[in-house]
Amino acid sequence: MTSIKLNSRSLKSLLAIVSLAGTFLAGCDSLPGRPTQAELPLRPSNVTDFATLYGENCAGCHGADGKSGAAIAMNNPVYLAIIDDASMRRVIANGSPGTAMPPFAQSAGGPLTDRQIDLLMRGIRKSWTGAPGAAEGAPPYFSSTAGDSSRGAQVYATSCQSCHGPDGRGGSAGSIEDASYLSLISNQYLRTIVIAGRPDIGHPDWKHDVSGQPLTPEQVSDVVAWLASKRPPPPLAQSN
Amino acid sequence: MTDLLKSIGRWLDARLQLGQTIADVAAHPVPRSSASWWYIFGSATLVVFILQVVTGICLATVYTPAADRAWDSLIYLNYHQPLGWYLRALHGWGSNFMVALMFIHLLQVFLFGAYKFPRELTWVAGCVLLLCTLGMAFTGQVLRFDQNAYWGLGIGASIAGRTPIIGFKVVDLILGGPIIAGETLSRFFALHVFVIPALLIGFVGLHLYLVLRLGINEWPMPGRIVRRNSYIAEYQELVHKDGEPFMPHAAQKDLVFAGLIILSLLVVAAIAGPIGPNGQPDPTIIQTVPRPDFFFLWLFSLFALLPPWTETVLMLTGPVAVIGLLFALPFISGTGEKSWRRRPFSVVIVILAVTLVGTLTWLGTFSPWSPVMDAWSATPTPIDYVKGRTPLELQGAVLVQSKQCRNCHSLGGEGGMRGPALDDTATRLTRDQIVRQIIQGGGNMPAYGKNLTPAEVNALVAFLATMHPRGEPPARDSARPALPASSQ
Repeated sequence: MTSIKLNSRSLKSLLAIVSLAGTFLAGCDSLPGRPTQAELPLRPSNVTDFATLYGENCAGCHGADGKSGAAIAMNNPVYLAIIDDASMRRVIANGSPGTAMPPFAQSAGGPLTDRQIDLLMRGIRKSWTGAPGAAEGAPPYFSSTAGDSSRGAQVYATSCQSCHGPDGRGGSAGSIEDASYLSLISNQYLRTIVIAGRPDIGHPDWKHDVSGQPLTPEQVSDVVAWLASKRPPPPLAQSN
Repeated sequence: MTDLLKSIGRWLDARLQLGQTIADVAAHPVPRSSASWWYIFGSATLVVFILQVVTGICLATVYTPAADRAWDSLIYLNYHQPLGWYLRALHGWGSNFMVALMFIHLLQVFLFGAYKFPRELTWVAGCVLLLCTLGMAFTGQVLRFDQNAYWGLGIGASIAGRTPIIGFKVVDLILGGPIIAGETLSRFFALHVFVIPALLIGFVGLHLYLVLRLGINEWPMPGRIVRRNSYIAEYQELVHKDGEPFMPHAAQKDLVFAGLIILSLLVVAAIAGPIGPNGQPDPTIIQTVPRPDFFFLWLFSLFALLPPWTETVLMLTGPVAVIGLLFALPFISGTGEKSWRRRPFSVVIVILAVTLVGTLTWLGTFSPWSPVMDAWSATPTPIDYVKGRTPLELQGAVLVQSKQCRNCHSLGGEGGMRGPALDDTATRLTRDQIVRQIIQGGGNMPAYGKNLTPAEVNALVAFLATMHPRGEPPARDSARPALPASSQ
């Protein structure tokens, strides 16, 4: 059997190993494998990060950055200016009747708590406020008058027809008089799009349909009333 | 000081007689051809096992095997206990390393014919070690009591529950009751910490004893046939004529490789970090996609892909048949050629098994047969499919999301893969065919006619009819005259 002798060389190697191990241990906090707080698994009802909540629940229809999705953009300064907090919260919680927007509140069968819905509303406002003054003079979110559909036809001819075409035939932007389209969209949604537009995919807002002639609140109500008059009755009522 | 140590050593050695035993083991002759880099996987598996025992004991000092506290104790290790995360990472990745090394060892031993006479029982002991290691892997995954563990256990129990007549008794035995509850975790803790490790240590001892007593398998040479009446004499002759002591030539390769494995384990654990835990093991949380650890992914895929009518028979008889064959192998083919060059059937079996397990594992990582349940709300419609669409088409795109078509059908490579991707639907189906497919379903797709209004079907069809690559015209009903290009 050989005996263990501590000569200077082995002492040096020992020191080197100890210092290496020391460096390694001291550096553990910054090692890539160390779990971060962000990786801490949360119950779905305890998620409070806006990006996660929006990404998992809203991005599918409203787009990754709040725009360019299939449904109306959240990243639209005019939209954010005209809708009040309570209305936005209500739409997220209970859905929007007459459209594809489903309810998200747990009380309505959805996955989100009231706190999460509030966080989403605040997060949307905080992330995408947009340019100040963009919505100055915009018609209100809710219509105060019923609207006159015959006057609405005039508004359509002046402000919408250049893109959406005459007599329901559809122009460069396709028809909005299509019966199926109108069956899938509520008056409120039509009103919101007429006012706020879809700037992300080229639809102008109320100010820019005709240059220098922004639509008045009455004109908006009128054109929505005219479009609503073209909506066919629901299939069940039809069969009755 | 040195003299004192020496005298203590001599006193102990005189009573324990260890020095001579170790010297005998170190000096036992091995065939020169076996001191090869191919013979290092078994010892490396053992080294990782020893490391698992050490890290496992450390973890057991903190881990709480109670259903309501296990998850919290893992979170404590990951976030509060200094270096607790690294300990978990070492143990978790150690188990992956151990399973991988053991399978490589198994393949090498199989291809080199090492299970043949007189080493049949060495192979059998190895098979027991294989089952024990997989048992450790499964029980370890259960102890990491998270959503994967919870549902994995549920699936394991439901497979056991298919056993005819005594199924529910077997489930009771596994879970400690009819459901996953307080006793379940204690049961798996006992298995993982006492029962299976004891078996492992016992059979590792037997395995090593047999390797030492019977000698390590020689390098298989084509044409050198194993015969029961002459093999032992031939092996002794080989060892004496062309052998060398185990130390240092063979052992140093084992040591170098074991060192490399430990080093890579340290690095992988530092970079990849601990495995899980993911969400709490709470069955009321349905937003989860449970997956087994990688060594069981192939089984996960296999069970998902089996035709339903074969499930019970194959799940119950398949494992028995495979394990039975594995144990029976040296008794079926205990003599003859050892070299893989003369055993084409064995080579084909290995290639098939590796390809099958590899492919199933790969499929298991993304399980294309499962719908992606949050794709509808989390995966945006590609911008190209939104721009330039008419209002009705855009409403169709909204419905693809809100009616959750996306959970089974992908757009732009994202979404479920259970059904075909929708990106080129219009090149495969005419408008009429799209309407029929949506309303009546077929080809594994449910019928949606009763869940959609006519307006919704119109919008969906309008959108899907635009889904054809630029430059590739949409499908056309050949019985109808071609429409002018502008109206397509």
